[in-house]
Amino acid sequence: MVFLVAAVIPAAASAQSVTDLADGKKLFSGLCVTCHGFEGTGGAGPPLNRPRLLSAPDDASLRNIIAEGIPSRGMPRVRRVTDDEMRQLVAYVRSIGKSARAPVRGDASRGGQLYGKLGCSNCHIINGVGGSLGPELSNIGWIRGPDYLRQAVLEPAARLPQGNLAVPARGYNEYLPVTVVLRDGAEVRGIRLNEDVFTIQIRDTTGKLHSVRKNDAALIRKETTSSVMPSYAGRLAAAEIDDLVAYLSRLGGAL
Amino acid sequence: MSTRLGTRASGFATCTVLLVALIAPVGAQVPYERLLKAESEPQNWMTYAGSYKSHRYSALDQINRKNVSGLKLAWAYQIQRAGIIETSPLVVDGVMYMSEPPSTVTALDVRSGRPLWSYSPNIPPDVIVIGSPPVNRGVAVLDDMVFVGTVHGHLIALDSKSGTVRWDVTVGDNKQGYYLTLAPLALDGKVVVGVSGAETGIRGFIDAYEAKTGKLAWRTYTIPAPGEPGFETWGKGNGWQTGGGSTWLTGSFDPDLNLLYWATGNPAPDWNADNRPGDNLYTDAVLALDPSGGKIKWHFQFTPEDVHDWDSNETMVLFEAQIGGRERKLLAQANRNGFYYVLDRATGEFLAGVPYAKQTWADGLDPKGRPIRKKGIAPSLDGTLVFPNIQGASNWFSPSYSPQTKLFYQAAREMGTIYYKGAAVYKPGTAFTGGGGRYVNGDDASGAIRALDAATGKMKWEFPLLSPGWTSLLSTAGGLVFGGSEEGNFFALDAETGKPLWDTQIGGAVRGIPMSYAVDGKQYVAIAAGFTLFVFAL
Repeated sequence: MVFLVAAVIPAAASAQSVTDLADGKKLFSGLCVTCHGFEGTGGAGPPLNRPRLLSAPDDASLRNIIAEGIPSRGMPRVRRVTDDEMRQLVAYVRSIGKSARAPVRGDASRGGQLYGKLGCSNCHIINGVGGSLGPELSNIGWIRGPDYLRQAVLEPAARLPQGNLAVPARGYNEYLPVTVVLRDGAEVRGIRLNEDVFTIQIRDTTGKLHSVRKNDAALIRKETTSSVMPSYAGRLAAAEIDDLVAYLSRLGGAL
Repeated sequence: MSTRLGTRASGFATCTVLLVALIAPVGAQVPYERLLKAESEPQNWMTYAGSYKSHRYSALDQINRKNVSGLKLAWAYQIQRAGIIETSPLVVDGVMYMSEPPSTVTALDVRSGRPLWSYSPNIPPDVIVIGSPPVNRGVAVLDDMVFVGTVHGHLIALDSKSGTVRWDVTVGDNKQGYYLTLAPLALDGKVVVGVSGAETGIRGFIDAYEAKTGKLAWRTYTIPAPGEPGFETWGKGNGWQTGGGSTWLTGSFDPDLNLLYWATGNPAPDWNADNRPGDNLYTDAVLALDPSGGKIKWHFQFTPEDVHDWDSNETMVLFEAQIGGRERKLLAQANRNGFYYVLDRATGEFLAGVPYAKQTWADGLDPKGRPIRKKGIAPSLDGTLVFPNIQGASNWFSPSYSPQTKLFYQAAREMGTIYYKGAAVYKPGTAFTGGGGRYVNGDDASGAIRALDAATGKMKWEFPLLSPGWTSLLSTAGGLVFGGSEEGNFFALDAETGKPLWDTQIGGAVRGIPMSYAVDGKQYVAIAAGFTLFVFAL
């Protein structure tokens, strides 16, 4: 039986005749691309195509993260790799960091002004300032790539965030919009903070926490295909989108 | 225990406990005859699944539908080293024998939860455990000994009074990937164990050891050697030598038919059958064995030529029911492949098989019980989405059968996996799996506790779970089914209707296996979650 194997090693095995980087890439393609993207450009997980990684500044820490995962961020442990394979994987991830990245278009300072004007801080925190209905953005430049950020601005419901938070759990949608109608008719709408078999925890649009026994609810509607964040497609000019993405991509000093 | 004799006795269970106390010193004296009649001592829990029939049913009814809402924590015990607790404690005459991960055994006072002794084997730091976390699912007791299988491949007999090692034998070479997680099964003078390790390409076997000495009584391989029946199901190569067929969960036993039922796991490599064309007997099967010599009397294979890692080791429940107008001795299993099977346990004849969870790989089973496979369900280089998931619709966690309701209770995992095929090169003690899978999890997956008519598999009720669980179930004469969730809920359902009657949040994924016992006339229910064993009572 296999248990808690979150990843795959297709065609990995033992070929040592080709270079470490090619083998490392093969391993990466099997194990890592789903979250970190092809060539490590990022996706639901952080982009790795940068010289320094926030949580893995050196090879030893990178190796440790691969081996142990980051339980609070949904990064699984990668087990069942040999020492050689681990070395190849680390070498490949480092090589991505050295490769040239496409420059991020747009003017970050104009993007920052736009962020203020649009009221993004009503729902997002940057360096301690803002509301908590949406993801914290202080280090978002490190943990999400420009393509992901652009999609988040244009189509926020296309993919709800995953892997930012320790809860609900790996694979669960974060910031999932939920409407609960209680048996007395009262309605709560907000985002799901957590859930178990008998209860659900919701933060409403005013920031208030509601902990509901499911038994007390007449209806619980989870909106897996919508987001409480509005889409800015059509509301901003293409250059403004570029500016906003440039601003977000630099948050945390990532670029 | 003798100091308790002066306390008030109330109820039958208490009287029995005290009578046993009079004739037995502290520390279990469990002759085989007591194991045979385990059902007559509902205050104790003396084998992994409560009885040889593996019902995981308690005849205690002090905690029942009417009063379960008043259930409260009696005591808790925190394990000594962080790890996943997947154990079913045993209780004999006031002492609980609990295993802790990876292979520790601790004896606890059932009244207070205070440890009486604890034993940890010397597990080498380079121990090879591939295929599961380093867990232990429980111990066996026989006479004055407690038996534990270890992750470094040993079977160890301990003195039940002190935890002192009586004997220690190597069951399988851990350097080749053999390891033990299961609770051994004690029979008449023998202790039976199986092995884990198919993910390293072991050749599986079932072993019986003389309880007194640790001498190997018999070994039955689950993969036939050249010249033996079934060898022809492995193609012309050497695939059989590394064919897997682990035996990693405790079997069931029918003393009247004198048949020991032991189930087997996946063929190796898991997701690539290139080197093993054929049915791959006796992987993913149940073997009915003569317990005196280990001879295979009959077999039934659930998943021939498995390429999805659907081990068939799941607990087999033995029960009797009317089928076709006559009383039959039956064996039922909710298999990891998504089907519920009912077999005649005297002959192995297939009687019924229906899905109990979402499955997308078969158009049902033929009249012999063989799956009618759909096309395009094999793992591929680009990935193939199939239900059930890689860990199955069920797995190691225990079902329960209630003789009161005649229902088979099973936690079902509703989850898919994208299966990949990869290369597999055999090197002893390393992963030999040939691919893998990616989960379709989170909000796209779910679970349920289902009550099935045991004789037919027809669903009577279900209780939804948020996520695919790993919860074992306990049914009781109080009309209850106890279970848990990955999110830390522990709850009691009405055994007839599935209606939740009581729940509490115990703060860690419920991976322990619930059981019930009584002492001083008081019933307790035990469950482990996170790093803690919780014991509840009214």
